[in-house]
Amino acid sequence: MINTKRTIVLAAITLLFVVLPLFVELGSSSMNILILLFVYIVLSQSWNLLGGYTGQINLGLAAFFGCSVLVTHLLWKSGMPICFAILAGSFSSVVLAGIIGLPTLRLRGVYFAIGTIALAEALRIIMGNVFPTSLSLPGTYASSFNVYPRYYLALGIAVFTVIVIERLVKSKFGLGIVCVRDDEEAAQVTGINTFKIKFVAFLMSAFLAGLAGGAYSFNRFYFHHISAVFEPLWTFQPLMAVVIGGSGTIAGPVIGSFFLVVLSELFAQNLGEAHLIIFGILFVLVVLFSPSGLVGWERGLRKVVGGLPMKHER
Amino acid sequence: MKIFIQTIAYGVLVGAMYGLVTLGLGLLMGVMKFLNVAHGTFIVLGGYISYWLFALYGVNPYLSIPLVVIVMFLIGLIFYKLTLSPLLKLPSIGSRIDSSMLITFGVIYVVDNLMTIFWKPDVRTIVASFTGKSIQICGTKFSVTGLYGFAVAVIVAVVLYFILGRTSFGKRVRAATQDAEAAGLCGINVHRTYFISSGIAIALAGVAGVIVVSSYSINANGGLSWLLVAFVVMILAGEGNINAIVPAGLILGLLESIGVFIVGAPYRQAVALVIFIIILMFRPQGLFSKRGHTNR
Repeated sequence: MINTKRTIVLAAITLLFVVLPLFVELGSSSMNILILLFVYIVLSQSWNLLGGYTGQINLGLAAFFGCSVLVTHLLWKSGMPICFAILAGSFSSVVLAGIIGLPTLRLRGVYFAIGTIALAEALRIIMGNVFPTSLSLPGTYASSFNVYPRYYLALGIAVFTVIVIERLVKSKFGLGIVCVRDDEEAAQVTGINTFKIKFVAFLMSAFLAGLAGGAYSFNRFYFHHISAVFEPLWTFQPLMAVVIGGSGTIAGPVIGSFFLVVLSELFAQNLGEAHLIIFGILFVLVVLFSPSGLVGWERGLRKVVGGLPMKHER
Repeated sequence: MKIFIQTIAYGVLVGAMYGLVTLGLGLLMGVMKFLNVAHGTFIVLGGYISYWLFALYGVNPYLSIPLVVIVMFLIGLIFYKLTLSPLLKLPSIGSRIDSSMLITFGVIYVVDNLMTIFWKPDVRTIVASFTGKSIQICGTKFSVTGLYGFAVAVIVAVVLYFILGRTSFGKRVRAATQDAEAAGLCGINVHRTYFISSGIAIALAGVAGVIVVSSYSINANGGLSWLLVAFVVMILAGEGNINAIVPAGLILGLLESIGVFIVGAPYRQAVALVIFIIILMFRPQGLFSKRGHTNR
């Protein structure tokens, strides 16, 4: 069965990342790249839940990410244990999603995209004005710095996200959101409360983005400008990861994030800004010629990568 | 009271520029159903052309407009051929809009970073002899660059109105907008019409860039804020209602400057975006469209 095969693959990859730092001395910069990779996996899965499965192109993901980064940071600074701080940060993202979602989810298609980016930008500007100075944790936090808990927390959140999305799309709810994506009118006629189901998907997506924000915040002691975590880049990069990897699939965002983070780290050292141009061109080519993304590419890829679930679930 | 009148005057000048910034986006979205999110990037590109003509050869920015129009028109043709024309094969208008949005994201990445590499991420602005000067009319100050921008916006809007409304090319564009298939059956070359219109849309972005760089400033990654302004004005005008774009820009400029008058300048953009959400929720068909609209 595909399901067990997928579980084995997921478990194998997880195990690889769990034991990797135990046997290989990675150095903190590689560890940081991997943490960023996990954050991107969570973010792109979060975007994929709404953009890939529910068909609502959300350009305001950065708002949820940034909100959670900020709340986690502030609560952690005030002495709350990091796990609770991250949870509280994620719930603050959910609350924000409720506020943003009520007006914008009534909009259809591209107007939803425009509405979310407008609100996210408004929030970025407001946050830049509310917190004009840099934010940092007291020195005692930095002296006890250890990269391993951060690494494992980010890994845990990434694995949790993949499992949650996997379960979710197999459920009745997952069927509902795919219905809404494929034909919203028809879904409505068959008795699906489309607004409610979109709203719930939106909240879940925000929660996951919040977890990503928490994991990111845990790894940062200092924010020069807090508005940097509200930058639209935090929306666009996961979007590109999902589209390059394959939207509406489980493996797509993971492959896309890997592609985006690891290759961009490799390229950035040699090419500088030029690597973003390469990604831009690649992104255009994928949208034009292979809308199903890397996941949809030839059978050859399946052989190279092994038993990854390559079935396109669109 | 005097401050209030000054606020209104400022709002009118800024609003005209907002209208100008939107024309290209409105043409592509309203006529061809391509959502070009790289519109702001093309505005910046047009601004750079004008900036370099000024910095290197001392060309007056307003005189550089014809050259910017020609260069940006050609860039628009290439842009259409490479990215937008393959999307015409897509079955539905909705998927065409979505795909064009995604593709032009990629274009943002490519063009923004090319500009960063070539011209550094510095903020650029044209400082000519008239920059910063202002004229007093009935005790109200008008900045010279603002007045030039206002004039250019009105001229461009009128020219565009005549091209679309009075020429046979404009008739073809409107026919292709209403029903591309039927227009094709009537012997209109829809591809060619779209091809030329894309060139015009990008050229309009270039003109807007000239006004932006001489009244404000540009930097390589600054396209997004202009894109958002253009979105707001486009929604205010109503999708496809190109003649209403400059009036809608004026309304936004006025609302924004009154809003800034009340809540303070740091929140200038936030005011516009909140107005935008209110409009989207309560009048998604725009302020100037009468007919019902399905939002798609």
